[in-house]
Amino acid sequence: LGQAREIFWSIGSHGIAIFYIFGYSAMLIGAWGVVRHIRKYIRGRKLATPVDILTGLKRMFLEISSHRMLRRRDRWAGIAHQLVLVGFLIAFAGTTIIFIDYDIARPLFGRGYWSGWYYLGTSLLLDIGHLGLVVGLIYLIVRRGAFRLPKLRYVRAYRRETALRPAARGWRLEDWAFILSLLAIEVTGFLEEGVRLLMDHPYLDDLSPVGAVVAKLLAGAGMSAKTARIIRHDDWWFHGLLALAFTAAIPWYKAKHIISVVASLALRDDKPLSRLPMERPPSAPEALEPVGIAKVSDLSWKQMLHLDACTKCGRCHEVCPARASDRPLSPRDLILDLRTLNDEVQGRDLGRISLVSNSIEPETLWACMSCGACQEICPVGIEHPPLIVQMRRSLVDQDKMEPQLRSVFGAVAQTGNSFAEPSRKRPTWTQELDFKVKDIRQEEAEFLWFVGDYASFDPRNQKVSRTFAKLLQQAGVDFALLHESEWTAGNDIRRAGEEGLFETLAHHNIAAMNSAKPFRRIITTDPHSYNTLRNEYPEFADIAPIDHYSTVLLELLESGRLAVTEPIGKRVTFHDPCHLGRLNKGYDPPRQVLAAIGCNLVEMPRNRDNSFCCGAGGGRIWIPDTPGTPKPSISRMHEAAALGGIDIFVTCCPKDLTMYEDARKTSGHEQSFVVSDLAELVAQAVALRHDLAPHLAKLMEQIVDAVADRIGDAITTRLSDFVATLPRTPTPEPLMTTDANSPPSDRPTAPAIPLPSRPRESASAEQAAPGVDISERPIRSLAPMGWDDLKPLQAANFPAYRAPNRSGLRILVPVKHVGILGDERRLGADERDVADGILDYAMNEWDESALEEALLTIERLGGGEVVAVTVGDEGAEASLRKALAKGAARAVRVWSPELRVADPLTIARILAGIVLAEAPDLIICGVQSSDQANGATGVALARVLGMPHAAVVVEVQWDGKGDIAATRELEGGVREKIELPSPAVIAVQSGIHTPRYATMRMIKEAKKRPIEVVDAAGVFDGSGGYIVRRLFVPEVRKSEMLSGDPAQVAAFVAKLIREKIGAKA
Amino acid sequence: MSGILIIADHFDGLLRDTTRELLSAAVSLRDGVHGPITMAVLTDSSTSLVDQADLQGVDQLHHCNVNTQHFDPASYEEVICRLGTALRPRIIMLAHSANGMACAPAVAARLGSGFASDVFGIRFDGNELVVTRGAYANKLNMELGFPNKGIVVVTIRGATFKPVTESATAVRSTECFDLSALTGRARHIEYVQPQSTGLDVSTADFILSVGRGIQDEKNIPRFQALADRLGATFACSRPIVDAGWLPKPHQIGQSGKVASNCKLYLALGISGAVQHLYGMKHVETIVAVTTDTNAPIYGVATYGAALDVFELADALEKHFS
Repeated sequence: LGQAREIFWSIGSHGIAIFYIFGYSAMLIGAWGVVRHIRKYIRGRKLATPVDILTGLKRMFLEISSHRMLRRRDRWAGIAHQLVLVGFLIAFAGTTIIFIDYDIARPLFGRGYWSGWYYLGTSLLLDIGHLGLVVGLIYLIVRRGAFRLPKLRYVRAYRRETALRPAARGWRLEDWAFILSLLAIEVTGFLEEGVRLLMDHPYLDDLSPVGAVVAKLLAGAGMSAKTARIIRHDDWWFHGLLALAFTAAIPWYKAKHIISVVASLALRDDKPLSRLPMERPPSAPEALEPVGIAKVSDLSWKQMLHLDACTKCGRCHEVCPARASDRPLSPRDLILDLRTLNDEVQGRDLGRISLVSNSIEPETLWACMSCGACQEICPVGIEHPPLIVQMRRSLVDQDKMEPQLRSVFGAVAQTGNSFAEPSRKRPTWTQELDFKVKDIRQEEAEFLWFVGDYASFDPRNQKVSRTFAKLLQQAGVDFALLHESEWTAGNDIRRAGEEGLFETLAHHNIAAMNSAKPFRRIITTDPHSYNTLRNEYPEFADIAPIDHYSTVLLELLESGRLAVTEPIGKRVTFHDPCHLGRLNKGYDPPRQVLAAIGCNLVEMPRNRDNSFCCGAGGGRIWIPDTPGTPKPSISRMHEAAALGGIDIFVTCCPKDLTMYEDARKTSGHEQSFVVSDLAELVAQAVALRHDLAPHLAKLMEQIVDAVADRIGDAITTRLSDFVATLPRTPTPEPLMTTDANSPPSDRPTAPAIPLPSRPRESASAEQAAPGVDISERPIRSLAPMGWDDLKPLQAANFPAYRAPNRSGLRILVPVKHVGILGDERRLGADERDVADGILDYAMNEWDESALEEALLTIERLGGGEVVAVTVGDEGAEASLRKALAKGAARAVRVWSPELRVADPLTIARILAGIVLAEAPDLIICGVQSSDQANGATGVALARVLGMPHAAVVVEVQWDGKGDIAATRELEGGVREKIELPSPAVIAVQSGIHTPRYATMRMIKEAKKRPIEVVDAAGVFDGSGGYIVRRLFVPEVRKSEMLSGDPAQVAAFVAKLIREKIGAKA
Repeated sequence: MSGILIIADHFDGLLRDTTRELLSAAVSLRDGVHGPITMAVLTDSSTSLVDQADLQGVDQLHHCNVNTQHFDPASYEEVICRLGTALRPRIIMLAHSANGMACAPAVAARLGSGFASDVFGIRFDGNELVVTRGAYANKLNMELGFPNKGIVVVTIRGATFKPVTESATAVRSTECFDLSALTGRARHIEYVQPQSTGLDVSTADFILSVGRGIQDEKNIPRFQALADRLGATFACSRPIVDAGWLPKPHQIGQSGKVASNCKLYLALGISGAVQHLYGMKHVETIVAVTTDTNAPIYGVATYGAALDVFELADALEKHFS
């Protein structure tokens, strides 16, 4: 049996030669395409961390062979593709066999091996493979052509577009070209086989059942021998050339995924979103390079390869909550747009090409909710979210972001939390508990509970935190908190693109945990904190293992430490939080907990890895949605309601609880079901002991207070008696309360002058006890003056301070590090300032405007320097560093402790001393500070210097030499345009510019730069404008607070309007 | 050293209310200052402004002819110091206005006097002058003293003291000041009136005003529509204008308009900076809705509700369909 197939039937030697020319050309064109891609990748950035290629390869083989990714949520398409792939591989193998046999074995050894039973066997296999390929192809063609799947459409309906973009027309074309050309190759192949069998009648029909059927059909159709001959010849050429063209084209269009997907899957990161890439370290210590991805050449070669793997299958497009809610983002379109741009420049840095202005709009990047649904479902291993985050980093670096996001970054940098609450208030949610929660900084515990922002500050979530705390208490779990040492974990800060701030937060929290007393394990109710602590913090330092509270609750229930006494017995549905489920595969523990407490769980259609984001992730919770845009959370509510008869919608994420509590009301399902946290249900099921009668706790508190008061009174009386026996030191401010935070000072008490007594104080309390912190805020004597004895303010003299030589224009900007008072109104011991530690600090808003004006002026005039000067203690360097980070060239800090409560005239004198040394061309300052709002320092400074000045300025025009044109803001919206000679002092209003954002990275870089510190000791000469007698809390006429929900308040207001305004309304 | 020197605050040929309030503050101190209350009006040769400043409680009226009605800080400073030397007042009072802020600190620095700004309480404690002003965004008050200072310059917060409106016939004197030798003077170029949109929030009797709490420019139309539906005039606080979301004429407050004819003021998402309160705190019925339960606006509002402004807006809309 020497059966074989004739390859070049009826093709003459010329024909064969031509065929070989075509063949080798096709291979060359194909190879060229591959090389071109490789050269593009070589231009891409290197990877910061090496790829684990072995694991990658293993996973790639597993995924391709199982087709798990393609079958998931689109089963038939997956199977069809698998048929196509297997058929294609078989066809490829067949072609290879023929090539080796015909082009290598025969010329070399004079005889081939592809014959006999071996030939027949492969022939059968090839026939079946090709059949599968055709079947798969036909399904895919019908699916693409007739199923009208939204995910396969390229019209950007989510951007309210109705027509295809030109690029998208190209995509559609290549989709069809690929799929139809492959089908054409197959069909012509079978035809060729059929005709061959019809003419040659080989033994067993060459074991080619499909070919045999075709042959029978052709015979049945009455095909003549002559027609068969012509077809066999022509079709041979057609089939052959088509196949060669297909081969040549592979790297040039959609077909390239045949190769690129293999690489893309092998290179896939196992935690692309849950552990975001770090920013590359600067190439030089002092270099401040742009961060993130701003242009194509910032893409890594791996990212470029991922882009090339996209087949536009639309799975990411389908699941994206942003796209589903008409936000301007489709992960698929983003990837395709990036790829188009990269294909234009081939990975080159053409400088001018910035992604964000040429290809990707910022709102596209800001629309992402970092839920990871896209990368989860992507069958080819594309990592969309890290790309988006890296592009966001660049946006943040360029200060192209929503103002709300900017202020959240500011608040987090300031207070360590996104609620802009003083960090002292972080543990206040524990105050309503009837037991004391351990402080890990003081005592060791088994568990450290990392609470997170929402669970600490949001009232609804505080309830959950208390419930979980009580559950732990009931189960006898030994746990503790970091209290105010905890800062927000930074998961969402990082995903919003403020990498430097994230690093700061991570370092802070790690340091806090490292300096804490021992603990064994970290627990949290917040999946976002859980994710970053679990996956990202270990890149900074080793930390204890962390578990989500769903795992903890499950353990407690399984071990019997929490016993279910009242099973819930309700129909519930469960929402997988993205950061717990998709990002960390924590699908089961919450479900097991629900089962354990007797819930009847009904799954929503989108569950587990297909869970639908609530819309809060990636910093979106801080960015208000455009009114009218659908909210993912509402879509989720509808999904739950459609299950029918659901009693409870269960979540186990603070942000989910916030989003869904809102969405339940606005989606119209308020009556259908309640939204509840997992811990609340567990509490119900285990019949959590109710708080020890709350009124008892209150009573105890009152008793403690009363005792404390009595002790305090006794001490005060004794202290006063004691003081009365001392030689009389005239100190004006009485000791009213003792601020426990103020350390006693051993500094000598400054010479003080008597103040008239305050009427409400007894004479015995008129003196301060020695050693109390009054020396911190000395009352300096004011020098006597009057009309016969005028004492014009003199600039302070700092002989030791020398400004560097000038190299251009110099603008001096005085900045104040202002104290911001929260809700707490405690005063310090001397009542002349607030108690230590209750202020938060920031750069004065007005001074930020002034700094911006100065920087813009220098930038506009093309050179020079801005010098920032502050009068303040070491803490004030934070504002100076911010000024340096924004672009100030130098920073000077003047300080002496006696300036603690200095008045604006004193500050003006000190600034004047620095101005004399600096001799600037212009001084721009804020017209007032947000803390004391004197609105006087700038004008007083000008007077001391004898300079012209303009106050309340909203616009400045200056050419750097001549007069300054300024616009002042008067009352009633009127503006006054004036001109004044330079140098001058310009005191500006806030809000005249949006101050640029200094990222934490820029601020950190600024830390490396020196701050000139000038000692102002002894500078105070009694020439100030006032002394502070005391501070007090004003009595505020409180408005009548309306309780009730919005509808009730609205009804009241509507009634009020009708009463007051009458018929008009 | 006795008496009080008041520097009249005026604009565009009209005495500003702040001047009448300064006088009211001065009169309240009459027992402690042991001397006359002198009102100085810096203007050109016309007496119109001087006539307006002739109010009950003024003992002496000084017409200071500086050849212009426009404010210039250097000229004001010079004239005040010269007048002071002649009159030797214990207290020099200016309004805490854009112009007052632009010269009072300079006067104090030049004299080396006591100085306090944005004062809303002023009294004598024995022989000692004591003033009260805000601190930390007016969450606290601070009481200041000026021991040993024979002269104190103060600027007084507007809309705090009840303005004196009764006119009188005080002793007048006129003096011409030649300031041509003075250096560092600013040149007045022009006044720019806010763009007229036909909107005058100062005449409205019902105002719906929005602030930072509405979060985004995109929400402006929604609240504008609500105001229309309620029959209210649409107004806002300063940050909204600063952000360019609404034109200046909508702004209520010190640098905007005063809601002087308003009977009902609905403040949505406004926390209540002093400069905004200036323009509306006198309104007889104020309803404030903002999520911040500690917002200063609750200090002046008749009714407050700590609610989401969007939810309230939706609910309110339903009552006026």
